[in-house]
Amino acid sequence: MSLRQMKISPFQAGLVLGLGSALVQAYFKVIPPVAYGVCMVCHPRDLFNWIADHLLNLDWKYSMASTNWPVLTVIGVVLGALTAAYLHGELQFKSAQKPLSYFINGFLMINFGLIIGSCPIRIVLLSAYGDFTGVFTWICIVAGVLIGTWFMRWNAHRLVGREPES
Amino acid sequence: MIVAIATLVLGFVIGYLGQRSRLCFISGYRDFFLTRNTALLKGVGGAFLGALGGYILFSHLGGTIPEFPIFASVGISDFSSEWLIMLIGGLGVGIVGVLSGGCPYRMHILAAEGRKSQWFYLLGFYLGLVFYNLVTVHLMVVIRTLM
Repeated sequence: MSLRQMKISPFQAGLVLGLGSALVQAYFKVIPPVAYGVCMVCHPRDLFNWIADHLLNLDWKYSMASTNWPVLTVIGVVLGALTAAYLHGELQFKSAQKPLSYFINGFLMINFGLIIGSCPIRIVLLSAYGDFTGVFTWICIVAGVLIGTWFMRWNAHRLVGREPES
Repeated sequence: MIVAIATLVLGFVIGYLGQRSRLCFISGYRDFFLTRNTALLKGVGGAFLGALGGYILFSHLGGTIPEFPIFASVGISDFSSEWLIMLIGGLGVGIVGVLSGGCPYRMHILAAEGRKSQWFYLLGFYLGLVFYNLVTVHLMVVIRTLM
């Protein structure tokens, strides 16, 4: 079976992600801070701020791991997903729905993420590293998901209740 | 240079695997709460086990895994304003993640698939980063001083 035909479960993908993040810290100098192998909030921040600092001579902060060269995880993720979608015929340009809502959510996500210094992936890595603050924040994120899910369910019930009876 | 290449390669691998598996670190919890579906939640478990196994293995092999496990060397910090900030930030990430339909990792993957809704998400994401650098970071300093 070729790689293209292989079915990949979320568990397998997660396992590779976790192991890979430990590997890049252990042998490829993606440190400090610790447990920094993958972060989809801090790594885009590092890349963006590194470029901004070098091009515009600003003083925006990035991690010490990105001192000489920036982390390029976000570029890799986009290229990897683009390749996978192209190879499997799933590259489709679907029109935008609720663009303002998505814009605001993206805006809020990076601000909340940078306040805690982690994305939902790095929280898992920090917890695996034995950081109790990471475990606490992980619980808070799950609690936030629970609240958001309740809100979605409440909103769905409210909208269904408004529909005229047929 | 090695940092850039290593993260680019790792990013490519997890981007490819993420697109094929629909791995998401918000939808896993959401699906479990909504429908008791554990498929994506197992992905979160896989990442935890993979990272834990990797840290244990590479620390024994002499890789750079300092202060592992952290609670043994640093301990648990006392309750402070940082815990309150983590509480508010964590809840914010969870709620916004559910409302947007996934974690930033999943959103980047969906944007790469050509979904224009997620392009707007990324537009907000990177403009939000500029806002963070100009406003939020200074606001957090003031809040920490007041606390």
